[in-house]
Amino acid sequence: MTLSALLGASLAVVGLTAAVSAVVGRAAGWIAAAALAGLAVVVGMMGPAIAAGDVVRESIPWLPTIDVAVRLRLDGLALVFLLIVLGIGALVMAYSARYLSSRDVHRHTGYFVWMTLFAFAMTGLVLADDIVLLFVFWELTTLCSFFLINRSGRKASAPAVRTLIVTAIGGLILLLAVALMVARTGTTVLHEIVAAEAWSADPAFTALVAVLVAIAALTKSAQFPFHYWLPDAMVAPTPVSAYLHAAAMVKAGIYLLLVMSPAFAGNAAWQAVLMTSGLVTALLGGYLALRAVDLKQIMAYSTVGQLGFIVATIGVGTPGALAAAVLFTLSHALFKAALFMVVGIIDQQAGTRDIRLLRGLSRRMRTTLVITVLAGLSMAGVIPLLGFIAKEYVLGALLDAGPAPVVGIIATLAASLAAVATVAYTGRILLGAFTDDASDDAPEHPDRHRVPPFIEEAPIAFWVPAAIPAVLGLVLGLAIPLLRPLLGAAAGAAAGEFYTATFALYSGPTVELALSLSILSAGVIAIVARRRLAPLIARPLLPVTAIDIVEGLRRGIVAVGARAGRFGATDAHAPHLALPWVLLGVLAVVGIWAAPSAGAVVDATEPWTDALLLALTAITVLPALAARSRLVAVILIGGAGFVVALWFFALGAIDVGLTQLLVELLTVVALVLFLRRLPALFHRVRRSRTAITATIAVVAGLLATIATLALTGRRDLSPAGQAFLERAYVDTGGTNIVNTILVDYRALDTFGELTVVAVAGIVLSAVLAARRLQPERTPEVGARGATALGRATDNTLPVRVVARWAAPVVIALSAYLFLRGHYEPGGGFIAALVGGTGFALAYLGAASDTSAPVRWPYRRLFAAGVVIAALSGLWGLAAGSFLKPVRFDIPLPWGGEYGFTSALVFDLGVYLAVVAIVIALLNEVGGVLGRRADDREEVRA
Amino acid sequence: MSLALTIGLLIGAGVFLVLQRGMIRIILGFVLLTHGVNLLLIAAGGTARRVPPFDGTDAAVAADPLPQAFVLTAIVIAFAITVVMATFAVVGRRDDDTESDDTVGYDTVGYDTESDDTAGDDRPDGAARGAAAASRRGETR
Repeated sequence: MTLSALLGASLAVVGLTAAVSAVVGRAAGWIAAAALAGLAVVVGMMGPAIAAGDVVRESIPWLPTIDVAVRLRLDGLALVFLLIVLGIGALVMAYSARYLSSRDVHRHTGYFVWMTLFAFAMTGLVLADDIVLLFVFWELTTLCSFFLINRSGRKASAPAVRTLIVTAIGGLILLLAVALMVARTGTTVLHEIVAAEAWSADPAFTALVAVLVAIAALTKSAQFPFHYWLPDAMVAPTPVSAYLHAAAMVKAGIYLLLVMSPAFAGNAAWQAVLMTSGLVTALLGGYLALRAVDLKQIMAYSTVGQLGFIVATIGVGTPGALAAAVLFTLSHALFKAALFMVVGIIDQQAGTRDIRLLRGLSRRMRTTLVITVLAGLSMAGVIPLLGFIAKEYVLGALLDAGPAPVVGIIATLAASLAAVATVAYTGRILLGAFTDDASDDAPEHPDRHRVPPFIEEAPIAFWVPAAIPAVLGLVLGLAIPLLRPLLGAAAGAAAGEFYTATFALYSGPTVELALSLSILSAGVIAIVARRRLAPLIARPLLPVTAIDIVEGLRRGIVAVGARAGRFGATDAHAPHLALPWVLLGVLAVVGIWAAPSAGAVVDATEPWTDALLLALTAITVLPALAARSRLVAVILIGGAGFVVALWFFALGAIDVGLTQLLVELLTVVALVLFLRRLPALFHRVRRSRTAITATIAVVAGLLATIATLALTGRRDLSPAGQAFLERAYVDTGGTNIVNTILVDYRALDTFGELTVVAVAGIVLSAVLAARRLQPERTPEVGARGATALGRATDNTLPVRVVARWAAPVVIALSAYLFLRGHYEPGGGFIAALVGGTGFALAYLGAASDTSAPVRWPYRRLFAAGVVIAALSGLWGLAAGSFLKPVRFDIPLPWGGEYGFTSALVFDLGVYLAVVAIVIALLNEVGGVLGRRADDREEVRA
Repeated sequence: MSLALTIGLLIGAGVFLVLQRGMIRIILGFVLLTHGVNLLLIAAGGTARRVPPFDGTDAAVAADPLPQAFVLTAIVIAFAITVVMATFAVVGRRDDDTESDDTVGYDTVGYDTESDDTAGDDRPDGAARGAAAASRRGETR
């Protein structure tokens, strides 16, 4: 199986599991488990070759211009992590099939999607040999963990956000590191980056990048000072926690450290950050685990602490240390997966995870007890389990840590103390949950009633997924020589040099063995003396918890943001609208200053009519500025619109001019509909304000004139325009080049535009459905029956007569303009606007709003427009590409043929959307629907 | 030159109107700005060639068809935006005012039918808070 097929298969598991879970609910876990286990077997079969030193590579182009590709690489390190990710993933999925509720089949689809997506993200992360790809998968794991935590109820929201904040910050820091690495080494290939010369040549730069990478990994692996999120995230269901802790999220950080290790190992900053943070976390995790009373909390702090050992060991950086770190990662994955699943079993069977309430499970749940003991002893480091060997070699590695012997001694002492704590809290788990030990008992606990009187052993399907990793911890401990080649290859990949692992269950009377025995003895003493030690441990280290600090920080940042936002906040529109113009003005002035000269003007002559058009523009626009009446202003601005249409005609833009003319007509009709609900006069403003706005306006107008003069008319026909003129007919069969651009060449653009029109119509109807219209402010002359002007039926007679004769003409004209658009001025826009004016005419001719014959289902017209345009696009897609016009000739009965093109179908979509917005306007604002306005609608009556 | 002055006039007038008070004038300002920018786009294609671009038109005199296509869609989109903005002007209980009116008196004809000012939360624009504050301060018009 190729690596891309492997990655694709792990993605396919997502779809498969989602589909199955939608039908059968939690049993989909079995499918996912089988699929992931199958992939794990496939990967495992590559094991012997990889362990022998093979490396599998693959590359699929992705972003060739910046040389980023889906580069995949499978070496020893990736293989070990892949086995953990897929193997533990399969176990957790099988476990989910029993853990999740059997009720409500459809509730679990989201869970399965995010969990299997998590497995995919981790698969991609460990296979990635492109640092950009690695980053993408890194962020995907962040998102998966956020959604998995967040979907576990209302209480989960705050922890999920805190998790997201810390891991997203880590992601940003990693992005910075990635950018620096790519910029310095000039490649995005991961194994070329870590082998680059730059790292040895520039220690300061290396230290900077090393610290950034280390911080990113520390956030992901929940290491001090970012350790708080993992216990916080315990609100997620137990299988999620099991996967996050044993194989996924936190192991991503470990993998990053290992994979970057060849570049940074031996760098003092790298070593200092990792060893300090790791050992502090190990001690802190052990201490906090001893204080917790919830089994799941104990496990969470345990994970934090155990990962501390791994991080500190990676910090040592020698090949032996890296090998020990890989071994510890494997052993931790096995025992922590088992322990979490056991906690879930206890929780389900006994109704609580609180060790103050649990007692005597050993009598009822013997199998669970055996699993817990096996996994627990591996965690505590008891011979002959895998955890024992891992801890031996970690201690050995720390003892050898350079640069001075004192570093190694301090590190070993700290790690030993943390290991004692590990033994002690392992005892706490076993004694607290399974025996009648009452050292933590709380008889008056409020949750006491939740513990059922008779606790039963879990069904076999529930405990088998937990038993497998627990037993593996024993088997692999005994069969450790078999793991040597693979772990050696993994350590070699992490060290950047060939390495042969020498792991053994017993390697003679060494310092490590003595330490191990002392740790176990001290741990047992701590367990025996637990009641005397309890008061010491119960005292809080600090008056605040890490969560308090993070919450405080979060609130502080939000408060600072609110305060910063208040500077620019105003309830008035004008300041917001002024700022862009002022800045544009500044930009224009800078532009003039920077480039005072422009190219030569092509042709400065202009016909005398231009001056006339300028004068007409001035005559309509300038009085509008001074108008106090809304109606006068709207009419004057409408006049300006007609002058602009004349401008378009004069400039040779026939279609544009026609469109402008019709839109202007409809704009005036529309605005008048709105105006009857508004006061007759504009609001007044201060003179000083008018002076300021006038100044801004004059400067803006001046600069616009200068910009037009400087930036236009200084070149000949553009190459694009030239090409359209030459090719339009050949390409499209249309002679109206502007129309062919709209419906053939740039149809996607037009498609977006008709969608905008449809959305505008939907906004209109949604707003008016939610908010009441203001009442009409009917003018005096409209008083019903008082004068001849008030008799609407009589007054509209002339318009009705005209409309009756004009309607068929308008319809025919509209259809004609539509059909000929490809060849002559016309097309969907213009035809629809003509049709729209027909509707407007019908509306104006009606005696009252509600009797106007324009009550059309405009929402369906919008939908039809968008759907028809999309279908014509798909038709094109079938012929090559989306919206590609399909052409054929239709023979006409009277001879000749009509050159049909699917662009016409597309244009029909445009037509429907545009006509629909006019109908929407008349119906909604025109009062045709009789939508209830404000309470005092009949103000005048 | 005339076209450049027309564009300057339209942009200047548009800017003046959008900085005024009340939604309708802001809309009219946007309409003028659209006109100005559309003419500018056409001008960018060159104003020396003015023959409508159809198949067979002499390329030496034909206007550039590409900006025309841009402007055509821009006009229709501007119409849609105008409709949406105007809708916001006429919902709620007050008129299309866009500012709190503690700067000047309120002397608009036809407003006397409004007797209360408790509808601050129902206003068509973001000025709701300002209006509510104004009414709390007991300012009347």
